[in-house]
Parts: sequence; structure tokens; C-alpha cells
Amino acid sequence: MTNGTKGGLPRRAFLAGTAAATGLLAAPSLLRAAPEAIKIGLIHPVTGALSYSGNQCRAGGEMAIADINAAGGIKSMGGAKLQAILGDSQSKPAIGASETVRAIEDGAKGIVAGYASSICLATTQEAAKTNTPHVVDVGVADSIMERGLTNTFRFGPGYGKIARDAVTSLDAINKAAGSPAKTVVIVHEDSAFGTGTAKLLSTELPKHGFKILKVIAHPTPMRDFTNIALQVKAANPDIIIPANYYNEYVLFARTIRQQRIKPMAIYSVLGGAASSYKFVKDFPEAAEGVMDTNHWFNPKSDLAQERKKATEAKGLYYTYEVYLTYNAVALLADAIERAGSTDHAKVIAALNASTWDKSGMPYGPTKMVKGQNTGAQPVNTQVQGGQIDVIRPAQFAQAQVKFPMV
Amino acid sequence: MRTLALLVAIFAALAVLPIGLRSDFWLNAVMLALFSALIGQSWNIAGGYAGQFSFGHALFFGLGGYAVAVLQVHLGINPWLGMAVGGALGAGAGAALGWLTFRYGLRGSYFALVTLAFAEVFRILANSVPFTGAGEGILIPLDPHPAMLQFRALSGYYWLLLGLTFACFLTVWWLERSRLGAQMQAVRDNEDAAAAVGVDAFTVKLKAMALSGLFMGLAGVFYTQRYLYLDPGLAFGPAQSVEALLVAIVGGIGTLFGPLLGAFALHLLAEAAQGVLGDVPGANMVIYGTVLVAMVLFLPRGLTSLRQGGRRRRRRRTKDA
Repeated sequence: MTNGTKGGLPRRAFLAGTAAATGLLAAPSLLRAAPEAIKIGLIHPVTGALSYSGNQCRAGGEMAIADINAAGGIKSMGGAKLQAILGDSQSKPAIGASETVRAIEDGAKGIVAGYASSICLATTQEAAKTNTPHVVDVGVADSIMERGLTNTFRFGPGYGKIARDAVTSLDAINKAAGSPAKTVVIVHEDSAFGTGTAKLLSTELPKHGFKILKVIAHPTPMRDFTNIALQVKAANPDIIIPANYYNEYVLFARTIRQQRIKPMAIYSVLGGAASSYKFVKDFPEAAEGVMDTNHWFNPKSDLAQERKKATEAKGLYYTYEVYLTYNAVALLADAIERAGSTDHAKVIAALNASTWDKSGMPYGPTKMVKGQNTGAQPVNTQVQGGQIDVIRPAQFAQAQVKFPMV
Repeated sequence: MRTLALLVAIFAALAVLPIGLRSDFWLNAVMLALFSALIGQSWNIAGGYAGQFSFGHALFFGLGGYAVAVLQVHLGINPWLGMAVGGALGAGAGAALGWLTFRYGLRGSYFALVTLAFAEVFRILANSVPFTGAGEGILIPLDPHPAMLQFRALSGYYWLLLGLTFACFLTVWWLERSRLGAQMQAVRDNEDAAAAVGVDAFTVKLKAMALSGLFMGLAGVFYTQRYLYLDPGLAFGPAQSVEALLVAIVGGIGTLFGPLLGAFALHLLAEAAQGVLGDVPGANMVIYGTVLVAMVLFLPRGLTSLRQGGRRRRRRRTKDA
């Protein structure tokens, strides 16, 4: 005698069998519903001397991951979600390298790092050992992209491009006003970024008829700019070009005002504060009229304006660290999407072939040459009436250039 | 001989680590600790054994680093040779700095401040002259072959560092048993008394500085070849000087194993703190700092004093029995 039915399949056994069969049939779709998360290493200097910028970078990267996940993840991989592996380089290249190794061992399929050029040099080199795709978020030193590392990509411009554009723009602005400015003083911080920029400017500006009266270097941090301001005052240049980090930029600009130095323009190159909302809000008088050549979003892009609002809703300023890191992560995610895989070689090939245009930046679609996005460019901004407006190139401009300031 | 056996056993165990350890991250973590041990022991030779507290050991580190980089990039000289030059330059700078300062009788905090000033002067010089790459720094071309002192695998760098660290520790082991070591300790404890019994304090201190500079210079060479980039801040900034004296102080100054113990304790602590609170920016540093303050408060003679304390207690118990 069988249990429950005569000569047929017992009812309980039938039900259990049906349930099991349903389960088995449903299993693949369930597995498809939860594909394995794709890990991305975000390595930034969130502690140490560069912590403000590092934290802004981290915020930008995390926002990009949240937005991509909210939009359905990586669709070509069954909607796989992105997951951040956060690393702190402590503002030191050696720790940056160590954190990169950790992230890769923890399963990171791509790295976005490391803000400062010296840290980027270490993280890209470390990621290259496993051919892990690495997108540099900010690091502007040209040497990062000139080492022949095939895993390394940069979405933003390097300082060679930035400095050359800065010179061309200054020349155009000056000529449009009837060439009133003839002399320049450069004040720069003495690490890689400031020194490299000053060197390029010192070579390029004389080609456009500008006379360099003085090039003044200073360390970071620097607590008092009075002596430097007095040297500038004695030189009496038509244009002052500062290239330094936020705190030093603010101090220098304030000291210039205190010493009643009134050049035709303060024209920065990658000015640490010149294109900073914080600077404009906290020191509106010192900021007024300051021009800058810097990373900036396309103010006419709805996408950029949406991201700006979302950033401000989090209580953060929409600084270059935020949108450059956001875009570095989004660029990497786009490559994984197109590759349909996290295989390093496939993702690298996808990055090389990238024509991504969802950045909200004034770049156009990406075009990679030896890892560098050749479409990337800086823009000129000017503080006018307490607002930071784009003044060049014309297609992105929100306001007319005000030059000379006095 | 028991100390030597222990030293060899520790370094032998460390030498086989890359064979068993699969994780590059942990191998790198051990490497960072070993690097700290090397610079800590270098400082310990002058600061711990000869009593010459320096705040500017980054000077020797930076000179070693720049020597190998400049010779390689500008003159095409092989980095193995650059390594020898870097070490020699570190030693020479140690002797020169010692000669300048001891000649004028600078001691204690005055000596410390002068060393700090020299490191800063060299930072500014490196920022100003073109052959160091000035503020932009100097980048060594990537060429991962052992002949170029570059390695594809992390284990290559690890064994190189282990070799340098072992040489440094072996030198200190020898110092502890040598006439020079005894003279250094005599000068440290009471320079005038040492001079009264015929110790040439000036020469002894000079030798200590040279030896200390030699290993610090080699550490600079290693750092530069590992990361292939050096700028004035990394080379002559205060970070290396502080780390060197910190690991020696935490481990126990004037002891053979102190810097090794201090380096591993500090790095283990940093990793543990990061493991617990890694994603909260700076929280790991708060834990790290708190434990560090507690260690300095309760173990002012370093971690090695724990062992000495235990030995004393055992001796007392034996006496009581």
C-alpha cells in the first residue's frame, strides 16, 4: 500500500516534487536577479594634508555608484550593481599603492584614484602589475600618462593642456581689450603642480609678447603672504598669475587686497580657490573679478545642473573633485557596460574605444589617445557679482569677460 | 650568540614569507613595517646608541633617493651602482653634518634643531635646482628587470628590503659587542666622563652619524626604486624623520629589537584600526593616536621594556623563593 493514493504518485510526494521542480526551474532566474556585485576601488587621500579634496573625491565617486545602481546597474551583466571598495591613501604615495593592492585583492575590477599626481603615479603603477583598469580622477601631471601604462586612463585634462589653453585664452582676452597688459608675475606653490605650471607659463607667455617680471615660489602650507605681496607690489605687474592650493590662494588673494595691489587681472591657472564657491561665499571682495583656467562643468548642461543640485542637497560644494571623480567612475562603468564583462583586457579595450558623452562636462564625447581623453579641456571662469561664471570658450560662456578689472 | 640566533631566526622566517603568503597586500604590509624598521634602526644607531637625537634624518634618506634617481635618469648609471653611491652619500652627509655640529659642541635639542634645519635646507635646494626635477620631482622610467633594480613581483622588492634591513640589524648586533658600540654608549650616558677615560667622543659620534646616514641613504634608494618617483617633499619632508624616531621610541631606543618591534606594532595597530573603522575618514587615526599616547605614557622605555620587566619579576620571584 502506498501512502495516500492507490497505484499512483502519493499526493505529498507529488506536491513536494512539483515544488522542487518549480524551484529548480526558477533558480536560474533567481540567480539572474542577483548577479554578483562589481567592485570598484576608490582610493583617495581622505586623511592627511589633502583630506578635504580626498573626501570630495570620495563623495563624487560614491554618488556615481549610487546613480548607476539606481538606474539599474550594469545592464549587459544582468543589472549587476557596483560596489565601492574605499581606500585611504593618507595623502602618501606609498599608502596609496598599498591600498590599491588591497582593493585589487578584495576583488576590485577597476580602480579610480588618487587625486594628487604623486599618489596617482604610485596607484597606476601598482594597478598595472595586474593590468587592472585604472582611471585617474584628478592628477594633472602629464608624466602619469606618459609612462606607457596600458591600464591607465584619464578623463580630465593634464596640466600641459591646461597651461597651454590658459596662455592662449589670456592672449585672446588681452587682445580683445586692445592689449593693455604687458607684464606678468607668477606666484606658485613649490610642488609638482605649481612648479610644472609655472615652468610652462614662463616658456609660453613670452611667445605671446608678455614679459615675466618675477616667478615667486612658496611652500605649502604658507601662513603669511605679506612678503610675497610686497614683492609683487614692487614689481607692479599688469597681471598676477597664482597657481596654488586653496588655503594659500585665499591668503594670497586677501593679502593682495590688503596691500591695495590693483593689477589689471588676477588670472589663475588651476587656482586652488579661484573657482571655489566657498572662496566666493566667504571672501566675496577678494574673489570679485578673479579669472581662472580650471576644470569646470558645462553650465548649459542639464545633466551637470542636476548633479550639482544633488551634490548641494548633500551639503557639499560641487567642486572639481566631485565631478571629475564622478565622471571617472561613470566612464569606467560605461566601459564595463560595453565590454559586458569585467575581464581586464576587455574593459581596457572598451575604455580605449570610449565615445562616452554623459559627463556634463565641456568636453564632447571621449576620445582616448594613449589613455588620455583628448577632448578634455579647461574653461575660463570669472567671479562676477558674487557668481562664478564661465567666460570662455564662447559656446559654454555665461557672461562676458570683464578685463581690465581696474 | 643567543641574540644572533634569534635575529637570524626572525629574518629567516621573514625571508620565506613570500613563498607561503598568497596575498600581495599582506606582503606589502609586512614590507611597509620592514621599511619602518630599517629607518628606525638607522636612526637608532645615532639616536639610541650614541645619544644624538636627530629630527632631520630625512636628509640622508633624500640624498640616497636623489642619488639613485639622478644618476639613473640624467647619467644613465645603473641603479645598483646608484645604490652604492646613495649609501655612501648618506654616510658622507652623516659625517659632514656631524663634523659641522659636533665641532661647535652642539648637543641635545640644539643638535636636533640643526638636523631639522639641514633637511629643510636640502628640501628647498631640491626644489630649486633643475637636475632634481625641482618641484615637479623626478620620475624613473619603468623597466621592471632586476638588472635595473626593479621587479615585476612584489617579492623581489621584499627580499631586497629584507636584505638591507638584515644588514642594518646585523651591524647593530655587532655594534652592541664592539668597542665602538661600547664607546658610543659611554658617550650617550655621559660624554664628559667618557672623554675623561680616553674616549674620543667627537670621532665616535661622527662614526655613529656616518653609519646611521649610510642605512638611511640605502632606505632612500629602496623607496625611490620601489615607487619610481621622488619629489622634495617626499625626500626631505619631516614624515620620514618622524617615522624613523617614532618606531625606535615606541619599540625601545638603544635596543637591537626595539625598532623591529615598534615598526610591526605600529603597522599592525594601523591595519587593525583601519580594519575596524576603515571607511570612516580619520577614525582609524584617532584610535592609532590614542593607543600611541597610552603606549608612550605607560611604556616610556618602549615595548622592549615589557620583556625586561618580566625578566626582573622572574628574578625577584626566584630570590623570594
